Amino acid sequence: MAEIAVESEIAGTVWKLERSPGDNVEEEDSLMILESMKMEIPVLDPDAGKLVAIHVAEGDTVREGQVLATLELE
Amino acid sequence: MAMAFEDKLDELRRREERAREMGGPEKLANRAAAGQLNARERIDHLLDKGSFRESGLLATSVPPEDRATTPADGKVSGFGRIDDRRVAVVSNDLTVKGASSAATNAKKIAYLKDKATRAGMPIVFLGESSGARIPDVMDAESMAQGGSDPQQYCRRRETPWASAVLGPCFGSSTWYACLSDFVVMRKGAVLAVSSARVTSLAIGETVDPEELDGWRLHSDVTGMADAVAETDEEALDMVRCFLSYLPSHAGEAPPRLPAPEHGPDGEALLDLVPDARGRVYDMRKVIAQIVDGDSFFPLKPRFGKAAITGLARLGGESVGIVATNPMILGGALDPAACRKVTSFLALCDSFHVPIVILVDTPGFLVGVEGERRAAPAQIMNMMHALQLCSVPKISVILRKSYGQAFLNLGGGRNSDEIAAWPSADVSFMDPQIGVSVVLGLRREDDPEKFDAACEQFSRGTSAYDMAGVFGVQSVIDPRDTRSYLCAALDTHRAAANNGLGRRDMAAWPTYF
Repeated sequence: MAEIAVESEIAGTVWKLERSPGDNVEEEDSLMILESMKMEIPVLDPDAGKLVAIHVAEGDTVREGQVLATLELE
Repeated sequence: MAMAFEDKLDELRRREERAREMGGPEKLANRAAAGQLNARERIDHLLDKGSFRESGLLATSVPPEDRATTPADGKVSGFGRIDDRRVAVVSNDLTVKGASSAATNAKKIAYLKDKATRAGMPIVFLGESSGARIPDVMDAESMAQGGSDPQQYCRRRETPWASAVLGPCFGSSTWYACLSDFVVMRKGAVLAVSSARVTSLAIGETVDPEELDGWRLHSDVTGMADAVAETDEEALDMVRCFLSYLPSHAGEAPPRLPAPEHGPDGEALLDLVPDARGRVYDMRKVIAQIVDGDSFFPLKPRFGKAAITGLARLGGESVGIVATNPMILGGALDPAACRKVTSFLALCDSFHVPIVILVDTPGFLVGVEGERRAAPAQIMNMMHALQLCSVPKISVILRKSYGQAFLNLGGGRNSDEIAAWPSADVSFMDPQIGVSVVLGLRREDDPEKFDAACEQFSRGTSAYDMAGVFGVQSVIDPRDTRSYLCAALDTHRAAANNGLGRRDMAAWPTYF
């Protein structure tokens, strides 16, 4: 099964994790919410699959392009 | 009938039958087993039943030893109808020498392009080709002949072009896909300069085919694919759908369908858009509550997603929708989103499709990555495109519209008419950021002072402040957005020239 990295498209702070490793996710499910530009911006799952790992914790600062999660494709 | 003529007719029938057998039963059976249509089945699915008039059925490759084995020289071409409107079509036949490009089929394509352009009909390319035919092209003489048409790759968008990438596409099929106004890619198909094998040999390292040329690359990263389909049939249906929004040629307005009896009532719009500045929502749901039925046809939905672009109908009339999507990057436009909008504006301007802009954006996405991808140049490219566009442009500000993005999304005199929802908030930037920039204040240091400054920086940014200085022409009830847009489009249609614009963007590249 192919694994893909879910990267942050924006610099900001992890405000809230919405999913956990092991969860099955659908395309466009919100994995976590970042705070950036004074907005709550969801990180949307790029494809259906199983969430293998989440690499950040609430309160972490993330940069653009940083790997936030690993997804195993269906 | 005279015996001699009967023989001649037998020969004609024999030759025609042989040509329609393409690369032979075995290759065709393999395709069918893999769930892929062959070149002729694709044409049958694409066109109105029985409307195909083939051109060049009996053409073959030039070298005498290849003539018996190259029916139609690997590229089936001709004319037909989609929804009873004329189109020209080239369907590459991979079962005949990999649909490789060679002297005779190059003539067929050149002929078809010339006649379709003169007669004023769209061209559809059904792509699946291996590139130039080797060894035919392995000498200076054939190379010199190949460049004999100085306009071969110059689009002026006289008529719409659509491409379906339905298998391995290298060389010709790739070039024509890149030059097309619409590209749909079937999953499993590939689109690249040359095959993984040729590329690996040329650069001396192994190349992963999926990384080189897969649908995910072109829908998500390069933006070269406007749409992705699961099957050949779905891809061909999308080509038909795309063309339904456009005129057959640039000398006429898009076809107008009867207005539907009922549009969406728009009541849901009041719940879809949160009032709080920091909350996001999905603009695609807003669009669905405004346009006719399920008429929204998104283009590049997986690329530059902070912007939404697509064709739709309002009261039966074709419109191009440009919107920001707060769900993605808060609706902040990054360089990819700017490129996507620019390329969509070129399409609409070239074929007289009026533009509706729905705005909720905190501005342009700032950051190191954006600058590395030439964000300033992409922002100005988009601005340049918007100002070149001579089709009617109607803009609606739903909530935020900040900074230069206000102008890029039709603010100022960059639309023919602008309306604001009562929730509109127009300023140079978010007041909290403004306070930090100007006063060097952070909320955590002195909340009371910070909030007071924010309150001050938030003054004079409302829909009524805009209306008061005629920055918008109307403030509208969100539920009336659809009827407002229909009426505004009617007002701004250019009657002097039968609804046709200047088409200043017609020769802009199809990808940038």
